[in-house]
Amino acid sequence: MKRSAAEIVREYGPFAGVESVHGVTYDGTHVWFASGDKLNAVDPANGKIARSINVAAHAGTAFDGRHLFQIAEDRIQKIDAATGQVLTTIPAPGGGGDSGLAWAEGSLWVGEYRARKIHQVDPQTGKVLRTIESKRFVTGVTWVDGELWHGTWEGDESDVRRIDPETGKVLEQLDLPAGTMVSGLESDGGDRFFCGGGSRGNVRTVRRPRRAAPR
Amino acid sequence: MESLITAAARALEAGDPLGALNRVALRNDAPSLALRGIAMAQLGDLARAKTLLRSAARAFGPREAVARARCVVAEAEIALVSRDLNWPVKTLAAARATLENHGDLANAAHAGHIEARRLLLVGRIDEAERTLAEVSTASLPPASQVARELVVAGIAIRRLRTEAARAALDRAAKAARLAGIPALTAEVYSTNLILDTPAARLIARGSEHPLLLGEVERLATSTALVVDTFHHVVRRQGTVVSFGTRPVLFALARLLAQAWPADVSREALIAGAFQAKHVDESHRARLRVEIGRLRTKLKPLADVSATKQGFVLAPRKTRDVIVLARPVEEKHANVLAFLSDGEPWSSSALALALDMSPRTVQRALEELARSNKVQSFGHGRARRWLTPPVPGFPTGLLLPGPLLKT
Repeated sequence: MKRSAAEIVREYGPFAGVESVHGVTYDGTHVWFASGDKLNAVDPANGKIARSINVAAHAGTAFDGRHLFQIAEDRIQKIDAATGQVLTTIPAPGGGGDSGLAWAEGSLWVGEYRARKIHQVDPQTGKVLRTIESKRFVTGVTWVDGELWHGTWEGDESDVRRIDPETGKVLEQLDLPAGTMVSGLESDGGDRFFCGGGSRGNVRTVRRPRRAAPR
Repeated sequence: MESLITAAARALEAGDPLGALNRVALRNDAPSLALRGIAMAQLGDLARAKTLLRSAARAFGPREAVARARCVVAEAEIALVSRDLNWPVKTLAAARATLENHGDLANAAHAGHIEARRLLLVGRIDEAERTLAEVSTASLPPASQVARELVVAGIAIRRLRTEAARAALDRAAKAARLAGIPALTAEVYSTNLILDTPAARLIARGSEHPLLLGEVERLATSTALVVDTFHHVVRRQGTVVSFGTRPVLFALARLLAQAWPADVSREALIAGAFQAKHVDESHRARLRVEIGRLRTKLKPLADVSATKQGFVLAPRKTRDVIVLARPVEEKHANVLAFLSDGEPWSSSALALALDMSPRTVQRALEELARSNKVQSFGHGRARRWLTPPVPGFPTGLLLPGPLLKT
């Protein structure tokens, strides 16, 4: 396993009226984050909130190209990103113990915080297709270039780690400075991660390590 | 963090404990237990709240030191509000240190305020002041500022510094409005009443009138000879003679002071100081002896001269003699004074606060209960005492709201 200190590139926020950041996603233009009763779109160029959708937003956030997915209480809401309308809801696999959310390969990936698990879920029905065990409490989840990454937050320590999607084995780990929490995670598809900062109410950009050779 | 926990915590912060319970009522993981505990405390079920918070502290893992420390602080606050003053102080100190080390300064300050309030209640004013001085005031949320100013005011009132108390209460009222918590505003208001309610009675030259706390304070600078029944001392400005262990001598001094400049008959002195029904020669002999002792003790402040039918006080260097007495004097007034804060007290906490034996306090409470001056609820060790005119239990419970945040 490779282990290194996370390189924090930039910080967005804290934002006025935002107490906590619960989930983070990226639609190619804006970074979206969940702040309890709102989903907010931040322009990563200037760090300003460009738009907000009033919707219950208690944990993970994801984007499939057209829709936003947002966990609230014990459900996952499917939201039309253009209109902000909640189209459908499916039950969340953790029954309310859910934390992070990601979209990849036609599935939703849901972190279950204290159970230290990541579930692959059918976005139509909410059926659990398979479950990956992690070693630490799971917060945000994201896929990039076939790599499964998730945030951890156990007690007072946080890191971002890449795990083997088959075995759950930790392949790589980026440690955040003490007292810095990761409450949501999303890749921009390139070499950046967006990390929610929990009750600090901010979003940080962390650099994704470069591969020695492209796969 | 977790979805449903976030939703429940938000409900709790918005003042909706039932909404919070709805979301976590059936869950037994550590954060759910903590949230249920706080919700139950806000709903007034302190016993259940205490059990839940204790289970939550146990259920948090060894890595979750901050969450565990917050549960300890919440449990300590419940103990304080239920007047369980024997609650382990060391546990709270350790939790406070943990919170400080992890940068949770708001909750660390909250822990410090709880400790200072406890010390104030058990009458350890200097220690309360020292504890408060250690608490950092930087960026305290309004609710914590209220708690702090209430302790400052409490210390000032005990020290008879009315102006300082009023200033602290003004600051507390402002912070309470900012916090927007009605219970806090009410607590500040009722503390203010203490300053506007007679705190003592002044008896001089055969007449008496009530005194506010501020007037009692001004008396300290007067040149009169003061017989102070609160502290069992006779004083004139800086000269103080203490009668703490000599109740009979103090009773004689008081009888003489109340009558001054007139004299007091031997019969009246014997009846008042010895509680004797029939006066005989042995009482007269004892009176002579006790007056001799009183004369020796009072020497720096006054002389005691014999008259035709009894004795008279002759103060030195002043033309004024006053007696400072409690507003209502009755047996067990000290016990009632503590209970008058409207909180439920255990007899062991009262014993600790009054520095009396638990059995003596129990006897006093039972006697007061027979004349309906106090009432009790619960049984055995859980039994609590309070003065009757209390509508429910004002708790003043703040509880560290963001128990589950970073």
